[in-house]
Amino acid sequence: MKNLRLLALGLALAAGPLAGTAAAQQPVELQLWTWYLSPKFDTYIKDTLAAFEKANPGIKVRWFDKQDSLVQDFIASVNLGNAPDVVNLNIDETQKAAQNGFLRAVSDLSSPATLNATYYPQSVRNFTSGGKVYAYPWYGWLNEGVLLYNPDLLKKAGLTRAPRSLSEMLSYAKTIKDKTGAYGWVPALKDPNTASFLGYFYSEGLPIYDAGGKAAFNSPAHAALLGQYVNLYKGGYIPEDAVRREAFQIATELYAQNRVAMIVGGPQALTRIKDTNPTLYGKTVVTEAPLGKAGVQTGGSMSLVIPAASKHPREAAKLAAFLSNNANQLAFAKVVPIVPTTRAAQTAALFKQSGSDPVQRATALVGASGRFINPGYKAPGNSDDLYKNFNDNIEAAVLGKKTPQQALNDAAAYWNANMKK
Amino acid sequence: MRFSWRDTLMSYAFLAPALLLLLAFTFYPLAYGTYLGFTEYTGARFAQGLGPKWIGLENFRTLLADPLFLTSLGNSVKYLLVVPALQLASLAVAVLVSRELPGIALFRAAYYVPVVTSISLAAVMWEWVYNREGTLNWALSALHLLPRGEAFGWLNNEATAFFAVMLVTFWRGFGYYMVLYLAGLQNIPAELEEAARLDGATPWQRFWRVTVPLMKPTILLCTLLSTIAALRVLEEVLVLTGGGPLNSTYTALMYVYAKAFQGFNFDYGLASAAGLVVALVALGLALVNFRLFHEAEGGDA
Amino acid sequence: MSAVTARPARPAVQTRRPPKRLLSTVLRYALLIGVLLFAVFPFLWTLAIALTDKTAGTSIYNFPASLFPKQVTLHNFGEVYRTFGLGRYVWNSLSITAMTVVGTLVVSALAAYPLARFRFPGRNLIFSVIVLTLVLPTETNFLANTLTLQKLHLLGTHLGVVIPTIAGAFGIFLMRQAFLSVPSALLEAARLDGAGELTILTRIMLPLTRPSLAALGIFTLVGTWNAYFWPMLVLSAAPDKVPLSVAVLKLKGQFNYDPFNIAAGSLIMMLPVLLVFLAAQRLFMRGLEGAVK
Repeated sequence: MKNLRLLALGLALAAGPLAGTAAAQQPVELQLWTWYLSPKFDTYIKDTLAAFEKANPGIKVRWFDKQDSLVQDFIASVNLGNAPDVVNLNIDETQKAAQNGFLRAVSDLSSPATLNATYYPQSVRNFTSGGKVYAYPWYGWLNEGVLLYNPDLLKKAGLTRAPRSLSEMLSYAKTIKDKTGAYGWVPALKDPNTASFLGYFYSEGLPIYDAGGKAAFNSPAHAALLGQYVNLYKGGYIPEDAVRREAFQIATELYAQNRVAMIVGGPQALTRIKDTNPTLYGKTVVTEAPLGKAGVQTGGSMSLVIPAASKHPREAAKLAAFLSNNANQLAFAKVVPIVPTTRAAQTAALFKQSGSDPVQRATALVGASGRFINPGYKAPGNSDDLYKNFNDNIEAAVLGKKTPQQALNDAAAYWNANMKK
Repeated sequence: MRFSWRDTLMSYAFLAPALLLLLAFTFYPLAYGTYLGFTEYTGARFAQGLGPKWIGLENFRTLLADPLFLTSLGNSVKYLLVVPALQLASLAVAVLVSRELPGIALFRAAYYVPVVTSISLAAVMWEWVYNREGTLNWALSALHLLPRGEAFGWLNNEATAFFAVMLVTFWRGFGYYMVLYLAGLQNIPAELEEAARLDGATPWQRFWRVTVPLMKPTILLCTLLSTIAALRVLEEVLVLTGGGPLNSTYTALMYVYAKAFQGFNFDYGLASAAGLVVALVALGLALVNFRLFHEAEGGDA
Repeated sequence: MSAVTARPARPAVQTRRPPKRLLSTVLRYALLIGVLLFAVFPFLWTLAIALTDKTAGTSIYNFPASLFPKQVTLHNFGEVYRTFGLGRYVWNSLSITAMTVVGTLVVSALAAYPLARFRFPGRNLIFSVIVLTLVLPTETNFLANTLTLQKLHLLGTHLGVVIPTIAGAFGIFLMRQAFLSVPSALLEAARLDGAGELTILTRIMLPLTRPSLAALGIFTLVGTWNAYFWPMLVLSAAPDKVPLSVAVLKLKGQFNYDPFNIAAGSLIMMLPVLLVFLAAQRLFMRGLEGAVK
């Protein structure tokens, strides 16, 4: 391996002078990788890239859309020495990539003042690791952005309005299941590759870490909150599959089949329902989602990062900044109800209009709330192992193998023993 | 032992294309992977352009101290239970479809459907079967074998998930081995079976006394492949249960896979070391296999 | 198919004990049908779901109704095909699969012949090492293999997907076991007639082991057709060249979750292979009498 690298380096040096003169004449070609955006948003991306190329005549962009394999491909491309220049990641992956040194700090490419003026401060913080910013915040979503419900099921359960607090959500879940046989909603107990239950702690104002950065999610208050969900699960009020599959997947699938009454989440759920069950989509009521005691939202966003291995970081930074600027995020929000991470979106006219179409209403409700985007916890070093252990413990509690307190104690102990950095 | 130079030359000429390709694309990367098992090679090193660093047996110590790895290795060994059932069933099915009967071609093709099915589709289908509201529970309650109120998701239950996944392996495998056995059966001279039949042997006796002994090379091949496959089971588990519930289906290869492909936190050193432990177990079982079928191997070869 | 079914089924025995014969045939079919249900039930359900008109808000879990969709439509298939432009990917799959199958058969048969039939120094070592590769950890192979392909300028080409996969322990092992079972007398006779080894391989060994060749062929076909990790890596920079298996992964994309479309897309994936199997399955049976001479 090492010899190969040396050889490659030697070749690159030998070709250096030639390559240099050629580069001056030829336009720079950038590789952009997005995540799960094709084919649905081909038109939007292509139009935006065309606008970028027009504004920057020296730069050409080759766009690839990746699915599942995005991170794997990224690593393979670094190995091969042809890394992309701009890559679309999310908060967790950005943190992981930054912690391991795969990324170039964008705060070295764009001035921190500009970043802070363009994006919400919390969004910039979401992508900060060790004092440096590692990504241009891109489109986002809110986990408690909206509540959408099936009015027929609520009526059948004798409920006349949407729930307004977490405790109401819990009692609604029981009533709806008892009266109609459908589930109330699907909480994200243990979504794969993340530690989704930590978000519920954050919503209730419970800390994840202590001041010294150690895991501190095992107080009696934490255990009591987990206990409420455990009881709900044991009573059969949460689909069993919620311990095995991503909650959002289950929720959208079952909602379209009239088997879940409410979805708490982003409006993107609506686009799926619109496709699979247009009749139900037309009936769906969209309203504000209840918040936890802390009165805060949780949410996430995509990022545009510049790999350390990119050969054209300056041009790449230009492209990433362009794609994530206010105008382009707003244009994206017109196509699909995303939440822009740009400050100026707060006052955008787009989010002031409201209509009767559920997607339009949802967009209006959440579009200007990007300042709330915050997963509620920062990815720890060595996050994959820690998340797996945390989720294993949540599962043990839900399935009655451990008491909630014991499960959280075990998880916290594991975190503090295995956290890197 | 003396070798003829003509045979030797001829043999290597025939072997040349395979050996060249194997050298470049199998032996070399495998040797490299084996070497990685004794090194530290993590995402952080990789990102800085640093190569693997030799650390001796350190990875193996880490593995033996990790309860998750020990659980996973135990599950993989337990998974070998599927092998005898799968092999016997496949051989029996092969015998069943080897007779020419009207419509037999359709049956053969139908039995091969599970093999052709991609794992992601198989996962979706079996999820529908095992779901709490799925086909299996529907059938059981229709037959009054399961009271309505006691339905459960077969993949969400610690007691059933392991065997539910195993059944999927069985389902995906029997058509595959059936084809191999079917091919093997063609080598049994029809006269032998006819003779046994005329001697008044029952089908049961013919199966054990004629078919099985003559099929030894094929049975060796199939049990060996099936043993290795069971020990290295990954896809079914990954798509059906993700290792749960409570890690009851978390297999050794899943551990390897998690360490090698957990995004930027990957640890190729630890993954390779875990793979080597699995290889060691597989190797031991392979030797047992060869020993058991020793007679069949002798002969003129 | 007709050629197969038309073969007489051991008339001597049939005439001797007719009642028992009938019973055994009935039993045989009962067994055949039992296994059939086990094998294809999930497939039939998928078919039913793929054909269901999803806009009616039907639940896929509604038994037994979901097995018999009231409103049947081909809409799901059309939607998948159009949205993902699957046409060009079919061609890619065909090209990659055809090259892989032919390559695997040739390389495996060539290598297996001396391993099964000749004595030469290093034979046992070579065979052991080849079998050993079946168990060694392969997870990091892609690191070395993609680099090798890059040096050969094969990255991003179909040939790059094919070449590293055609020489494999499985194929060589399978063909060796098949060659082992060919009676030595046949080979000796041919050698006495002055036949060269290549002639013996192509005229005697291969026809006699056609069932195994067919099995290897169909396994390689299925494996290659469904493989996605390796082609995805090799063709990572050439998305227009990816096979169907990689393209349909998009079905599971974030904004595209829909069980009806997934069922339809998966069936589009499966049908070609099933048709090939149906056409090729008689090759698993012993060749026509002439070949055994």
